[in-house]
Amino acid sequence: MAAQGVMTGSAVRAREWSGLRPADQLKATPVARGDSHIAFSRKGHVVQMTLSVEKKQFTTQKSEETFNAAKELMPGGVNSPVRAFKSVGGQPIVFDRVKGSKAWDIDGNEYVDYVGSWGPAIIGACDDQVNEELVKTLQKGTSFGAPCVLENVLAQMVIDAVPSVEMVRFVNSGTEACMGMLRLARAYTGREKVLKFEGCYHGHADSFLVKAGSGVATLGLPDSPGVPSSSTASTLTAAYNDLEAVKEIFAKYKGEIAAVVLEPVVGNAGFIIPKKEFLQGLRDLTSEDGACLVFDEVMTGFRISYGGAQEYFGITPDITTLGKIIGGGLPVGAYGGKREIMEMVAPAGPMYQAGTLSGNPLAMTAGIHTLRRLQQSGSYEQLDRVTGKLIQGILDAGREAGHEVCGGHISGMFGFFFCAGPVNNFEDAKKSDTAKFAAFHRGMLERGVYLAPSQFEAGFTSLAHTDEDIDFTIAAAKEVMKSL
Amino acid sequence: MAAQAVSVGTALGAREWSGLRPADPFKAAPAAARADTQIGVSKKGRVVQMTISVEKKQFTTKKSEETFAAAKELMPGGVNSPVRAFKSVGGQPIVFDRVKGSKAWDIDGNQYVDYVGSWGPAIVGACDEQVNEELIRTLQKGTSFGAPCVLENVLAQMVIDAVPSIEMVRFVNSGTEACMGMLRLARAYTGREKILKFEGCYHGHADSFLVKAGSGVATLGLPDSPGVPSSSTASTLTAAYNDLEAVKEIFAKYKGQIAAVVLEPVVGNAGFIVPRQEFLQGLRDLTKEDGACLVFDEVMTGFRISYGGAQQHFGITPDITTLGKIIGGGLPVGAYGGKREIMQMVAPAGPMYQAGTLSGNPLAMTAGIHTLRRLQQPGAYEHLDRVTGKLVQGILQAGRDAGHEICGGHISGMFGFFFCAGPVHNFEDAKKSDTAKFAAFFRGMLERGVYLAPSQFEAGFTSLAHSDEDIEFTIAAAKDVLKSL
Repeated sequence: MAAQGVMTGSAVRAREWSGLRPADQLKATPVARGDSHIAFSRKGHVVQMTLSVEKKQFTTQKSEETFNAAKELMPGGVNSPVRAFKSVGGQPIVFDRVKGSKAWDIDGNEYVDYVGSWGPAIIGACDDQVNEELVKTLQKGTSFGAPCVLENVLAQMVIDAVPSVEMVRFVNSGTEACMGMLRLARAYTGREKVLKFEGCYHGHADSFLVKAGSGVATLGLPDSPGVPSSSTASTLTAAYNDLEAVKEIFAKYKGEIAAVVLEPVVGNAGFIIPKKEFLQGLRDLTSEDGACLVFDEVMTGFRISYGGAQEYFGITPDITTLGKIIGGGLPVGAYGGKREIMEMVAPAGPMYQAGTLSGNPLAMTAGIHTLRRLQQSGSYEQLDRVTGKLIQGILDAGREAGHEVCGGHISGMFGFFFCAGPVNNFEDAKKSDTAKFAAFHRGMLERGVYLAPSQFEAGFTSLAHTDEDIDFTIAAAKEVMKSL
Repeated sequence: MAAQAVSVGTALGAREWSGLRPADPFKAAPAAARADTQIGVSKKGRVVQMTISVEKKQFTTKKSEETFAAAKELMPGGVNSPVRAFKSVGGQPIVFDRVKGSKAWDIDGNQYVDYVGSWGPAIVGACDEQVNEELIRTLQKGTSFGAPCVLENVLAQMVIDAVPSIEMVRFVNSGTEACMGMLRLARAYTGREKILKFEGCYHGHADSFLVKAGSGVATLGLPDSPGVPSSSTASTLTAAYNDLEAVKEIFAKYKGQIAAVVLEPVVGNAGFIVPRQEFLQGLRDLTKEDGACLVFDEVMTGFRISYGGAQQHFGITPDITTLGKIIGGGLPVGAYGGKREIMQMVAPAGPMYQAGTLSGNPLAMTAGIHTLRRLQQPGAYEHLDRVTGKLVQGILQAGRDAGHEICGGHISGMFGFFFCAGPVHNFEDAKKSDTAKFAAFFRGMLERGVYLAPSQFEAGFTSLAHSDEDIEFTIAAAKDVLKSL
């Protein structure tokens, strides 16, 4: 549907701008189908609009009402901090539905979505084929609390895909996966200390709430209250990509470190790529010292490549954590690794970890069919191509408008910072002009592009993001960058 | 369908016994569950022709065996949660195919009356049509947004309206996550570190709680889990359940140091243990006086003991409550909630950090909402109480008639029994149960089409779908088995 552009000034809150909006892919939704209707521009002009979704005024009235109600019911109005838009400002958006590369909020605004539920939606949100399988499965029950065949199926797929994983345990979240992994590494090595990297986020188990990324970084929290100092005393930290610092730590704490844990490509401090020598160095140091090398691939698993970052970079850790994509939009996490390590997990071994809903057939179904779609040839080429085009367009738009901006992508994961760069660690990332990012976020939001509401989160694309979506996004970015 | 009873001896492995089996409510069951006229061979080699009857299906576990053997190569112990491996009861772990109402079917086609109900969530009956309808509707709009959705508000309001202590709530993805969040919150709110828990109680697997824990830890006889730093458990104090004097001593010794007293207000994870009213009241008084948080872990009891949980049933209001299982209606959901001033410490309202990508996802919220709505219907808890009381009474009577020491009880849709004289007031009492006998009982019931929790140290659950027929069938089976033990 061609947009009838109506320019009535450059009021930031209005969605009147000339740009080709991707056709509405959703089949039968009354709100998204615009009828001929009368709308008022900010200056009070009556404009009759033709059949066009594009001319919808950007409003957040319903989001505001719902979110205000939410703040009375849930802390900060949300069930996860970053959703409250605190670091970007503006009205948090309440979603109504998602499909493919799109999201719609409860005011009827349409967005090209680059959050994708923070990663799971890699084949496109609300996939018809996955949904069909979910419907089939739920007719037999969503949860048994007992073994089911589907657990075997997904386990085999994960083991086949991920180099380090010979045996796997499914849990209900990335947080649970990292908790299990930590206890396991400690049980296996008989050691306590864990080395993590500044700005990396591994769920909210106490030991990991030290120089953590994601929402902790977003909210500017040093550490969380309620975490005993004894829990964090065993947590050592170093700057990402700083191999020398790691060497010093291993020299100082020889034989005491249970595990070195990292995001093999950082997504929780914004998007940061590891140096190959850094990863190789970690592999060598841990092997030599008898510590476990752990890749937290909750974000990168099945996204950077089908075999994860470990396949992409050719470095095999001892233990891997997974999440997001393997749940295909339902809550699933996993930790896996060498057989001899995993055999320590109860009931095979003495290290305890349990979960009522772990491995439930519905979640397994979503994971299985999501992974099957990703196995189709061309998937990762597609992700790489559109994401490369996207990030290049954003960076070009930024530079053309005179901003300092840097960024990159690997496959379907990307990010950018408002600073000269390069960004090799969290300190570098913090140099980003977060006020400018916030303004950029809001400008894009009003133009129908939903980015992660935090500078310290990576962006995600999916198999459903089209060239049209990318062109639309870049056009919006050009506009916003000029206005910043 | 009336059972054509064919008795050919009492071989333990066979499912040939005389008893009326409830009709199969499942609408479109595949060939395995619908029995045709078939020829069967008894253990003594007699060829017996069986009429159209599901009941005459031989109890086999061949497919379960194959699948489980494969699973052991893929996942530790072949399972994603320890208790499913049947280690304390022995015998072949059962691999499920589907569930419906009060029933479960395994992949060999054996049918069971199910008293596990996915460990609690299936309280309105498994695979409920109306819940499924709503799930299908919701998933057409997306299963997860990673952003706020209206359904979160709906379920939050329902939980707040229902549970006395909860003025504000945070949804998470499991009971373990709920207890982790609750612990950090209690520590943040009070500025203290120590927690007091009770022996045999289980609060998820965060390090601090893996001390004298119940559930699978008790089932496997683990003292503590390796990989837990001693510093994590040094702050965890323990006492015997129902022992108020011990708690008084602990508060005297650690005055002003205890962040929270955490308990299952009715124990389910050490088997079923009922609290004394004075115990709960005493905890409320002691915590209030000392400024510690009283935390009811209602992951099991919430919406089961009564609509408002154990706190409503006993009339004792804690400061913080954790929830799970039922509020997810068969999908992964947990929650912690309490007084507004405490909950406002949770990020992003306050500084205490806790996050979750899938928390509050619309699909899980949908399942919870419609499960709770069904429970609001009049008569729901009366039904649970009635059938469960009849069940436990029947099992206890059957046990005593056969000369066994046995005790047990129920509250609403939660029950349990132990093979000992009792009474069972705490974990030490529970451990007096003859677990070998329990294991034999478990296996005998399994072969007769009754699926109990595969551990002495787990409570049993009924649902709105459990009928009198189911209960009578179960009691008849119990009589048979208890005589043979």
